[in-house]
Amino acid sequence: MLRTEHLSLAYGDKPVVDNVSLAIPEGGITCLLGPNGSGKSTLLKSFAGLLPPRSGQVFLDNRPVTQWDRRRLALRLAMLPQKPIVPDGIRVRDLIALGRFPHRKWWQRNLTTDDNATIDAMAMTGVSDLAERPVEALSGGQQQRVWIAMALAQETDILLLDEPTTFLDWGYQLEVLELLSTLNREHGLTVVMSLHDLNQAAQFADRIAVLANGQLDTIGSPAEVITESLVNRVFRVHTSITAGREGRPFCTGFAESTQSRPKQRPHCTAAS
Amino acid sequence: MTHPATTTPRADQRSLRKFCTSPIARLILAGGLSLAIVLVAGVQLGAIDLSWAQVWAGLTGDSSEHVQRVVFELRLPRTLTGVLIGIHFALSGWLLQLLSRNPLAEAGILGISAGASLVAVVAFIIGDWLVSSANPYNNTSFALQYLPLFAMAGGLVTALAVYFLGMRHGHLSPVKMTLTGAVIAGMLHALTTGALAFWGHAHTELVAQWLAGSLYGAEWQHLHTLLPWTLIGLAGVALLVRPLEVMQLDDEHVRTLGLVLNRWRAFALLIATLLAASAVGVVGPVGFIGLLIPHISRRLAGANLPVQLVLCVLLGAVLAVLADLLGRTLFSPYEVPVGVVSAVLGVPFFLYLLSRQP
Repeated sequence: MLRTEHLSLAYGDKPVVDNVSLAIPEGGITCLLGPNGSGKSTLLKSFAGLLPPRSGQVFLDNRPVTQWDRRRLALRLAMLPQKPIVPDGIRVRDLIALGRFPHRKWWQRNLTTDDNATIDAMAMTGVSDLAERPVEALSGGQQQRVWIAMALAQETDILLLDEPTTFLDWGYQLEVLELLSTLNREHGLTVVMSLHDLNQAAQFADRIAVLANGQLDTIGSPAEVITESLVNRVFRVHTSITAGREGRPFCTGFAESTQSRPKQRPHCTAAS
Repeated sequence: MTHPATTTPRADQRSLRKFCTSPIARLILAGGLSLAIVLVAGVQLGAIDLSWAQVWAGLTGDSSEHVQRVVFELRLPRTLTGVLIGIHFALSGWLLQLLSRNPLAEAGILGISAGASLVAVVAFIIGDWLVSSANPYNNTSFALQYLPLFAMAGGLVTALAVYFLGMRHGHLSPVKMTLTGAVIAGMLHALTTGALAFWGHAHTELVAQWLAGSLYGAEWQHLHTLLPWTLIGLAGVALLVRPLEVMQLDDEHVRTLGLVLNRWRAFALLIATLLAASAVGVVGPVGFIGLLIPHISRRLAGANLPVQLVLCVLLGAVLAVLADLLGRTLFSPYEVPVGVVSAVLGVPFFLYLLSRQP
C-alpha cells in the first residue's frame, strides 16, 4: 500500500516537507491535518507522484511512486485537486467520463464498459439526474459530487482529495464527507484527504496525521491525536475536548486563539 | 448493477437516424453547405462574373480558352488555396487555445506568425539576391516551395521561446504566455519591417502585399506546396483529440489521469506551429481566422471536441474564401488582401460575442 520513508519535499530551494515517514492504512480514511502551509497539499501531491522527492521516497506496493508508469498509476490512484478546472460548457456525464481515460489507449474512445462505469459512478454519488446539465450551472456541493464521481469512474482503490470541503457551506461539507465515508465502507475505497476542521476529521477519519512546519507531529486514531495539548501546540487554540459519539473526540466550549491579538497601531503622532 | 447490451443492428440504425436529426448533424451540414456555396461563388464571381453554365463548361473543359483560363488557372487554385489556409489558421488557433487553456491564444497573438514571417522574408531576400547575383538575367523568384520550411523554422523557434518564457513555477501561465507572445510579436514585426527597409527595396511591394496576408496570384503550385502540410496537420489533430479533452483540466489533474502532459503539449504545439507557419510561408500572416473560428465553433458545438474540430475545418475554410472573395470583388479592380478583410469582418463579430458573454 501507500507509505513514505524519510520523505522530504521542496519547491525549488524552499523545503516544505521534512523527513516524514508514515503508512496509509488500506481501506481506511486518513485525514491530514495541520495549519496553513504545514505541507498537507504538498504531501498529497507527492503521494500522486506529482512531485519528485528531494530525499526519501513514497512507495506504492513497495515501488517508488515516481517510477510508476503514469497510466498504470492512474489505474491505482485518483486525485481530486483543491480547485479543479471545469472545461468550458462540459456536461456532467462527459466530465465524469474523462475519469475513464487511463482505462483506454490514448487514441481509443470510450466503450460500453466505460459508459457503465460512468453510470455507476453517477449513481453512487447521486448525480444521475444531473447527467445532461452543464457542470458550470451546478451548485458548489453538486460540483464537488461530480468531481468525486469522476474520480470514482477512474475505478482506483485509492482516492486522494485536497481539502474537498474548502469552498462548501456546512451542509455540503457534511454531505461530501458522508459520501466519502459511505464509499469507504461499502466499496473499500482507501481515502486520503486534507481537512481544516478538527471535528470533521475526528468524526470521519480512522487515522489522523498532523503536520506542523512540514514535519509529522502526531499520527494515530482520532482519540489519540485530537487532544487539548496538541490543539494548543499545533493550532495555537485553547479549547476543551470531550468524548463525542463512538468515543470520538469533539472540540467544545469557547475556543480562543493563543496568539496575542495584534497590538493596536500607535497613533500617527506626526500627522496630528 | 446490470446493463443490457445495446448494440443490436436495429439500435445502430436507430442511433444513426438519431444522429442525422441531431443538432450536431445539422450544424455540420450547415457548415458544409456554406462551404459549398462560397466555393461556387469563389469560382463564379470576380472581374468578370461567370454563369453556372460557364463554370460547369470551364470545369469539364468544354468552353472557350478564356473561360477555362479564368476558372482553372486563376479562380479554382486561388479558392482552394483559400480553403487550405482557412483550415490551417483555424486549427492552429484551436490547438493553441486548448493547449494553453487560453481563449486569446492564436498564432498571430503569440508571435508564431511574426517569427515565421521574419524568417521567410529574410530567406526570400537573401535567396533572391543569391539567384540574381548568380545569373542577373534570371527573373525567377526564390523557389516558393522552400518558403514554408523557412517559415516553419521561424515559427517553431518563436513558439518554443513563448512557451518556455510563458512558464511560471513549472506551470504554463496563460496570462504570462499571452503577454510574452504579444511582446515578442511586436519585436519580430519591427525586425521584419527593418529587414524590408534595409534590403528589400527591390521587392518592397511584393513583400508588403505578402505581409498583409494575400491570396493574390495563388496558383496550383501554392496549393501543392501547402497540401502535404494540411494532411500532416489534420492527421496530427485527429490523434490529439482525445488527449486534448483531458488536457482541458488542471495540469496536476491531467497527470493523475495518466497523461504525460509535457509530451502531449509539445506535440500539440508542434502541430499548431506547423499548420500556422506553413500557411504563413505561402500566403503571409492572415490574422483573426485563428482567433474567431475556434470561438465560433466552441459556441456552436459546446464542449464536444470532435464536433468543434469539424466545424473549425469547415468554417475556417468558409471565412478565408469569403474574405478573399469580398476583398477582390468589393473594390474591383483594386484588391484588399484577405488578411485585412478577415480582420474587418472578424473583429466586430468577436466584440459582439464578447458582449454576449455572461
